Amino acid sequence: MYLESRRTFLKGAAFTVAGAAIAKGVFATDAAAESVAESKFTNTPSSLSFYPDHSEWDSFKELDGADWKRGGIERHGVRSESNPDGIQVNDYTIVPTVCSNCEAGCGLTAWVDKKTMTVRKYMGNPLHTGSRGRNCAKGYAVLSQMYDPDRIPFPIKRAPGSKRGEGKWVRVTWDEAMKEIGQKMHDTLKKGDEISKKQIMYHVGRPNENGFGPRVPQSLGIDGYNSHTNICSAGAREGTIQWANDDRNSPDWANAKLIFLQSSHAADAGHYFQQSAGLIADARKAGAKMVVIDPRMSNSAGMADLWIPAWPGTEAALYLYLVNRIVHEKDKDGEDLVKHEFVKNWVNWDRLMKNKEYLNKLVEYGYIKSAPKGESYEDFIELLKELYAPYTKEFVVKECRLEGMEHKLDELWELFVPAGSKIATYLWRAGPIGHRGGWMNTRAGFLPLALRGALSGDIGGTSFHHWHEISVAGKGDKATVAGEHPKKADVWNELAWPPEYPISTYEMSHILPHIMMDDEWHAKWTKRGLKIPKSIAVYMPRMYNPVWINPDGFRWIEMLKREDKVELSFNLSPTWSETNWYCDFVLPVGLAGERNDQQSTPSKPEQRIEFRQAVLRVAAEKAGWKPKDPTRATLEAHMKFGLGEVWEESEFWPNIMVHYIDPDGSLGVKKYWASKKDPSRAVTVPEYFDTALSLLPKLKETAQKLYPNEEYPVYSYIRDHGAWTEKTDVYKPQEEELEFDGTYYHAHGHKYHKDEIEKDEFGALWVKGKDRTNHTPIGIEIDGELYEGFHTRSKKLEFFSEWLAEEWKWPEYAIPFYPRNEAERRKMPQLVTQVHHDFMKGKNEFALNTIYRLPYNIHTRSVNSKHLMEISQNHNPVWIYTEDAKRLGIKRGDAIKVRIVDTVSGLESGYFIAMAVPTEATRPGVLACSHHAGRWRLKDGVTIPGFEHQLGIMRVGTPLYEMTMDGKVGTLKPKGSIQEGYVKAPVWQFKEFNKDLDNIWWDGLSGSWQNAVAPSHPDPIAGNHGWHQKVIIEKAGANDKIGDIHVNYENNFKVYQAWRDKLTRPLAPGDKLRRPYFIKRPVKPSFKAYQVEIKDV
Amino acid sequence: MNNDILQHQNARVNLYALTSRLTMSEVDEGLLKTIEEDENMLAFFPTYKKWDKRKKLERKKLIERYLDVDFANLFLLHLIPYESFYMREDQMMETGGENPVIQLYNEYDFRVELDKARVVGGDHIGVELEFMYKLCESEKKALEAEDYKAAAEIAKIEYDFLKEHLLEWAPMFLMNVKNEAGTAFYFDVADLTLEFMLSDFEYLNKLIVQNKGDYTA
Repeated sequence: MYLESRRTFLKGAAFTVAGAAIAKGVFATDAAAESVAESKFTNTPSSLSFYPDHSEWDSFKELDGADWKRGGIERHGVRSESNPDGIQVNDYTIVPTVCSNCEAGCGLTAWVDKKTMTVRKYMGNPLHTGSRGRNCAKGYAVLSQMYDPDRIPFPIKRAPGSKRGEGKWVRVTWDEAMKEIGQKMHDTLKKGDEISKKQIMYHVGRPNENGFGPRVPQSLGIDGYNSHTNICSAGAREGTIQWANDDRNSPDWANAKLIFLQSSHAADAGHYFQQSAGLIADARKAGAKMVVIDPRMSNSAGMADLWIPAWPGTEAALYLYLVNRIVHEKDKDGEDLVKHEFVKNWVNWDRLMKNKEYLNKLVEYGYIKSAPKGESYEDFIELLKELYAPYTKEFVVKECRLEGMEHKLDELWELFVPAGSKIATYLWRAGPIGHRGGWMNTRAGFLPLALRGALSGDIGGTSFHHWHEISVAGKGDKATVAGEHPKKADVWNELAWPPEYPISTYEMSHILPHIMMDDEWHAKWTKRGLKIPKSIAVYMPRMYNPVWINPDGFRWIEMLKREDKVELSFNLSPTWSETNWYCDFVLPVGLAGERNDQQSTPSKPEQRIEFRQAVLRVAAEKAGWKPKDPTRATLEAHMKFGLGEVWEESEFWPNIMVHYIDPDGSLGVKKYWASKKDPSRAVTVPEYFDTALSLLPKLKETAQKLYPNEEYPVYSYIRDHGAWTEKTDVYKPQEEELEFDGTYYHAHGHKYHKDEIEKDEFGALWVKGKDRTNHTPIGIEIDGELYEGFHTRSKKLEFFSEWLAEEWKWPEYAIPFYPRNEAERRKMPQLVTQVHHDFMKGKNEFALNTIYRLPYNIHTRSVNSKHLMEISQNHNPVWIYTEDAKRLGIKRGDAIKVRIVDTVSGLESGYFIAMAVPTEATRPGVLACSHHAGRWRLKDGVTIPGFEHQLGIMRVGTPLYEMTMDGKVGTLKPKGSIQEGYVKAPVWQFKEFNKDLDNIWWDGLSGSWQNAVAPSHPDPIAGNHGWHQKVIIEKAGANDKIGDIHVNYENNFKVYQAWRDKLTRPLAPGDKLRRPYFIKRPVKPSFKAYQVEIKDV
Repeated sequence: MNNDILQHQNARVNLYALTSRLTMSEVDEGLLKTIEEDENMLAFFPTYKKWDKRKKLERKKLIERYLDVDFANLFLLHLIPYESFYMREDQMMETGGENPVIQLYNEYDFRVELDKARVVGGDHIGVELEFMYKLCESEKKALEAEDYKAAAEIAKIEYDFLKEHLLEWAPMFLMNVKNEAGTAFYFDVADLTLEFMLSDFEYLNKLIVQNKGDYTA
């Protein structure tokens, strides 16, 4: 119709309204266009870069993100006088720091707005060679943690006259707190007797620094350091110590051909997530394959080339099956699969083959039929063949419950062999920490790798961590009056190192409240001659929340509430926590951008440090601000720039030591913390860390060139760059040549005259006169060449752990072994998981897998981030295999009651109520529910006398709960929502940043506090808490609500006792040492402290 | 100055203004009222004029229940009103500076305020039509000033833009809109826009190619 009319089309367009009134007018004004032309900003950059050049970090201009989101500068142009509606240009000081939300220590940069002196965003640090400018969600969430509305704004103290846990608090100054705490510590130390040196306990959760923390108790002359390793990684450490006398392994992910993972660790969760994950991704891009052995299909398993859902805790059987094939089979060229060159030189087979007595024991145990006749390497290989022949495919299928998945074992072999020695692994959480005998998981897991040469630490293989790490944070001694490192304490603290667990790795912290309240135990060991305190005078957790994270949480509450057991307590805590609630003081300390710590993470074969720092302090100092008191610069900066009275340890400890604990120096403590430059005051951050970091020669040289006019050049370097890589390509470190100049050997900073050194029959070089059971040699000679060797007493990897077999009472477990049948499992309970399928008899009995990290919500440090809370809600149901669920009539979303039952004592611990989700992503018979969720609060806010606002408590991530406990039974029931909490205690802090809180859609009920229901399962050897639980499930009752828990903690106490008394081999009369002196122990006391005499009573 | 030329130019301005407005965002009550009350304008919406729903429902309800829904369906959800989608082999939208249309705008110092337009790229049909409107307006100013040389230069830009951009793809899009339209109103919007563009191209072709920019020929 228009064809005809088209010619006359316009005649009809004489509108009554002008076009200008109709058109939308979406083209910008000239002013906006000009403002863009005049600026450096463009929508069409010639290249894209995440980070500006380092030279611009002190002043970097960037368009504001809030305006940039839609359309960029095409929108309104750049803000200027002539274009006031344009996009804001921010002027930033970019200050490097380090994330503190997990152990990985990825680099961060804080973008500090110069106008407002607020951090506008946290990004990565491209100068950090481990994280390479990248972060996970937790890194970016540091901003929302920093400006969390429920930050603790100043130190608070339990209100006089109130009891712990009542929730009544008063405000105090830092000096008032330091005075009271300092006095108590002073009085305790002044006693100077053995007991008092065990009564101050510094309990470190996530250290995230390398040595400053241990220096604190050591400078006090006490044995008072405690950590969280026994709920985290003790099993893996034990296995690694037995192999290499090293704390953990350290893979070269990026160059590996096979990424060999047990659990999702490294790739989508912990050690050292994000850095490892990136390197693993690089490797896979280059063609590497990935195997994940995990009962649960994690993100990693989901994208792996092979997922093997072995029954949890039986993985050692699978590893020994690989060993069986390696020693018996040949490669496609007909060559042996054992890398003889490496094994012959670097595994201690020679000591085993010489030890006839032990070989006869192997016969006695039924491991082999007869002792080998010869002592040669070839005889050793024959021995391996016999030892591991029973670990057949049929055996593994049955033991690991892989029926129907037999093909997966063949696939594993097809991936394992072609990778040669380029197999990278990180055996850490999951298996090694979940189970009794979890340490054998690591012990057995390293054997196939050792035999294939993958433990040589060569390119693409697996090495050991201390070669890839630098710990100097404890070594700023020369900046202090003392000028030297504090002496080792001469006492042994049984509260952290009880005599039942002489080779635990490390402190038995998860049973601290149990032994504190176990009068029978106390009496028993006192009678045998040990001097054990009945109370802790000062208990100081640091970035730790033991009440919530440890098993049997109600027992922790009981202990902390008892003033006769814990006389004074204070938590150095960046956030509110369940533990704070039961302390006398809560001292708010900094998050990632508010602390000063040297950290070093061994995430790849290099030696690197990173430096976490108080970014507002640094930005303000760069802008010319000066603190009144340089020893309190961080605190002053935080107060001045709106963060509140938030401090941190590297200024707090020197101050309290110098001014309050030992003001007159009479205790001999002050000198370790007083400044050499001005002995009247504490050492400052620049003084201390410049000294400590100057121990790195290459860093020192570079810093002095770059900062020739600075008083603290090394500190200045790390302040401006945030990270330093001292050495790259650290491969085959054990093959470093041991320096010998014809007269002297040079080893580990010492010089030994050749006459001082003697070589044993296996080539190890010992210092003459040193007790060989307590020391390690300085090096080893192999085929006429001198090497530094591994850190073991043999200087080799120890297939045979002589010390475990001889002095330390576990000969049957001194080589990698796993029980081969039910009779052996009964005979060797220490090697059998408490959730072995032998124990699952009823149709509703399951193994509960609790320890997998949610990558955005780990431990207890993320409840203060609205962003992390939002993405982690409803992610933590109980996973149940579809057919199991069907069998029990359980549907998605059903509330189920999960009852925990101990398989040693037979006692029941109680239950938690959780939501079930049937899925194919967990194996039959095994449930999964991460223990990283289920936080709680008992009040929405607390009123502080004289302070106009209520202090809110952990509201972005917790519902309000009601708690009951009577000394025997404890319960928790959710009763209030997140939003109700904000109505009752309105937000007053960081309001602008938190104006979106009314968008909170979640109720915080993302899990139950299952940790409290779980009894402590102390592994008799490694000491770890075996996290996994045997559970019985049923549908929840009408009155049960998701989030409910009910705990019989009286029974839990008996469970701890049963595991201790039925399974351990404690120190006994005749024993001379508390622990092998040569193996690692944090804050090692003197050899004198190791010596013990147990009375025969 | 020839009044016919100016009148004609005024009509072009008005029609580009109207079509750009209607293809860029939902019609509002005010504009709908203007259209309905101006017989000249309503004549461009013959189907809508006869549409029974228009007669039954008050404007607000008509807009909320039918016209907005249809607009969302045609311009936001199911059809892609962007040149790059039609012109690129991979059918990807180019929202950044590599978009040739943006480059053209930049050449003439035009910056699209994407948030105001509520579009993700400068090559949205509504924005391109508004660009034509801006050009026509400039041409009109030149004609009013009797600067025929400048006016013809601007008309040449209009001709090129229609030829190289709008007509290369918009007819396909508008035919799709006609096929998919669920209301008489947007059927007419598409039809009007399509036919007007074709008609205007004929006019420009005559002015620029045949008459070499001579308005009086």
